[in-house]
Amino acid sequence: MDSVFVHRGSETAILGSGRLQGLRVALQPNLSVAGWPTDAGSRALADFKALEDATIVGRLRQAGACLCGSTRMSEFGFGLENSQAGEALRTKTADLELVLDLMGESRLAAARAGVCGLKPSYGLLSRLGLVGLVPSMECCGLLAADVARIRDTLQAIAGKDDLDFSLPDEEPSDLAPRAIEPRRTTLGLVGEAQGTLSAERDKAFRAAVGKLAAAGFAIKRLSMPDFPLFSLVHRIVGSVEASSCAGRYDSVRYGRRVPGARNWNEMYLTARGAAFGSHLKSYLLSGAFFQFERYQAFENACRIRARLLSEMRRLTAQVDALVSPAVGPVDLGAPPSLAETYAGFASTLFANVTGQPALVLPAADVAIQLVGARRGDGLLLALGERLLGIVKGGS
Amino acid sequence: MEFEAVIGLEIHVELNCPTKMFCDCPNRYGDEPNANTCPTCLWFPGAAPRLSEVALEKAALLCLGLGAELQPTSVFDQKVYYYPDLPKGFQLSQAHLPLSRGGGIEIADETGKPKRLRIHHIHMEEDVAKLVHEMEGRVPISLVDFNRAGAPLVEIVTEPDFRSPHHAMEFLKALRTQVRYVGSSECSMENGTMRVDANISVRPRGTSQMNTKVEVKNMNSVRHVGDAIAYEFARQRAAVEAGEAVVLHTRLWDPDKKATLPMRAKFEGPCVPDPSVPVIALSREWIEAMRSRLPEMPAARAERFVAQHGLSADEATFLSADPDVARYFEALVGEGIAPRMALHWLGTQLLPAVKERGQELAATKVPAPRLAVLLKLLARDEINANVARKVLGAMFDSDDAPEAIVEAGGYRQVSDAKELDLLIDKVMVEKKLTAADLQGGQGKAMGFLIGQVMQASGGKANPKKIRELLAKKLGTA
Ligand SMILES: [Zn+2]
Repeated sequence: MDSVFVHRGSETAILGSGRLQGLRVALQPNLSVAGWPTDAGSRALADFKALEDATIVGRLRQAGACLCGSTRMSEFGFGLENSQAGEALRTKTADLELVLDLMGESRLAAARAGVCGLKPSYGLLSRLGLVGLVPSMECCGLLAADVARIRDTLQAIAGKDDLDFSLPDEEPSDLAPRAIEPRRTTLGLVGEAQGTLSAERDKAFRAAVGKLAAAGFAIKRLSMPDFPLFSLVHRIVGSVEASSCAGRYDSVRYGRRVPGARNWNEMYLTARGAAFGSHLKSYLLSGAFFQFERYQAFENACRIRARLLSEMRRLTAQVDALVSPAVGPVDLGAPPSLAETYAGFASTLFANVTGQPALVLPAADVAIQLVGARRGDGLLLALGERLLGIVKGGS
Repeated sequence: MEFEAVIGLEIHVELNCPTKMFCDCPNRYGDEPNANTCPTCLWFPGAAPRLSEVALEKAALLCLGLGAELQPTSVFDQKVYYYPDLPKGFQLSQAHLPLSRGGGIEIADETGKPKRLRIHHIHMEEDVAKLVHEMEGRVPISLVDFNRAGAPLVEIVTEPDFRSPHHAMEFLKALRTQVRYVGSSECSMENGTMRVDANISVRPRGTSQMNTKVEVKNMNSVRHVGDAIAYEFARQRAAVEAGEAVVLHTRLWDPDKKATLPMRAKFEGPCVPDPSVPVIALSREWIEAMRSRLPEMPAARAERFVAQHGLSADEATFLSADPDVARYFEALVGEGIAPRMALHWLGTQLLPAVKERGQELAATKVPAPRLAVLLKLLARDEINANVARKVLGAMFDSDDAPEAIVEAGGYRQVSDAKELDLLIDKVMVEKKLTAADLQGGQGKAMGFLIGQVMQASGGKANPKKIRELLAKKLGTA
């Protein structure tokens, strides 16, 4: 076992004959591949092997992709602690990675590895076979060295799944490449979304925006005073969903029991106590606290989420995409607290709350994040392709 | 001070769908434990619930059959609690936005006056697994059977409109009839396809205060519901009269002790919206399509039976209580059998015979067209009622036509005057009866004679004809 992969695929023969012929795809052990260990990075699922392929895994195979392995991930994909996301690309052992994006993990892993990372629109990818944690916010992100590869893969795996009723009943998104005319394209800068950048990064981001303006893009400055509420809403709603989602890990049907429990209640407590790491535990406890003790706060968070969604929709409608810096969590050298984790994803998690597509592009000193209207993934990818050449040049 | 009971019911009805609510596993009892399970109803990692269309339709028909208003938008929530009968730490139920609101049932109260009992709402819910507690040597173990986990249920929550055990029992009977009518469930408390909890409180009669209620569970028949409510009302009234406070708790009905006993409260968790099951949006067209699938409901059908067939209200209610019985009756009438004869034979002969043989009316060996042939022989006096009953019995064991059974048994009615005259004379001689005997005694001897002649004929004599002949003999014709 190496430091990046927890499981290596043994497939050498290339199945199918689709558009992804020979593409080496690395995924995470939270996406079901029949027969592969699928523990989602948690002791709660130690030794669990997937029974069937996830829908999007089946589609990858159909398109001729080669599943080269699953990479080390944080527990249930929450945060980037111990995650090796992006490393298979950086070490060139894979051509594309699928990484769960709960609050920006896939995008910030891309920034970290110096590659492109897309979190597609919510509802674009089937969730069947995904061992998730926050169903209403998470989505598999796609990482690759260039945007075209992300688009090819997305075209192969996106769309309706008769086995996943949670996908909205919508027309398929138009993901085809399209020409971008800078002079007819407006990019929005939401002041509050830029957070507090170091002087160096601030300078880099300004420089990047300057290049875009020089290339002819119209830059529109926007404001959303409620932007800081995204973190709060994500933290409350996300932790409540996580608490519900983790309820099934009770060691009754699978998972490990701790010997010595005198009754089922003790069995639950000891099994769950041994199964989850402390970081996830604090998240689950936070969710249980809002469920059982502060339900009103949860209801308020749901209401605020709806309001944030419509405010964001209004802002996004004025431009072709929003541009902001994507700044990853600072490595503190110690396991982060919940607050520190949330602070680390402050620049990305709003797209999880709203379900908008978000694309991170590598650039010198600071990664650039583009966020489009929901289901505007096609336009966003085209924009990304165009912008990448402009901003990548360095300062 | 006089007290009255304030009662509301919460009724779980198991829908008779072929599959479970969120997967394709069979919704069936009696199979090997855990035979009917899959990654979805065991909530394996990566599983996704898929709401069954049939379950939604059956639930919707049930709501419409009870006069409830289907809501354009309803949503599943997670009822969170941790117990081994739940495979995921929450139960999918509709706590905030239920499938329907309103509706109700009109019953006859103790004095026969109509009383409407309102339904607050009806929501969908999945059933939980069954726990079996056993001993393995000296170690207590709990076994979980997930066959029932995810079975489709609806919960009917009434308004606290009930004031007596009678109200509750009549409501449940009518509810069962109506739900059977729409075909959504058998609603058998004995078989567990209908489970009833009652919320009971007391207050001074005539006031409108709402006092602390006690929930009573574990009643296994409609009768038990009545008994449990009566007991609980008396218990609370005695407590209040003694100056004790009624505290909020749950009690179990013990049918042997005929008493309610307090139980340890099950932990009630919060209900949070479920992000995995999509919102249920019902279009007006869909609701109308469901409405058009509703059969004629029992009250309407009974009214029609009275108007169309000249039956009494009680007779019509009896016939329309069970949709199969009503269908059978209409089929008989459709075959040309007089309504009253159809009612009589169905009620007193066929139904008991079907029940005795453990058959279902809808699939009995004697369907309406076959019985109609027999009844026509009777109506034409070709056989008498005695014989008809005998032939009916034989029809359950044979596929032969009723006529063939009549011929084979030599059952055809004897109406021939000469033959009957001979029989009458023979009996009168044997029993030493005179004409004078027959004229006196208020017809007692007459009845005796007819019985004897019938017997002598092997049950084949036409009693009407005997009467005629006797009248002639005695000169009373
Ligand atoms: Zn199943």
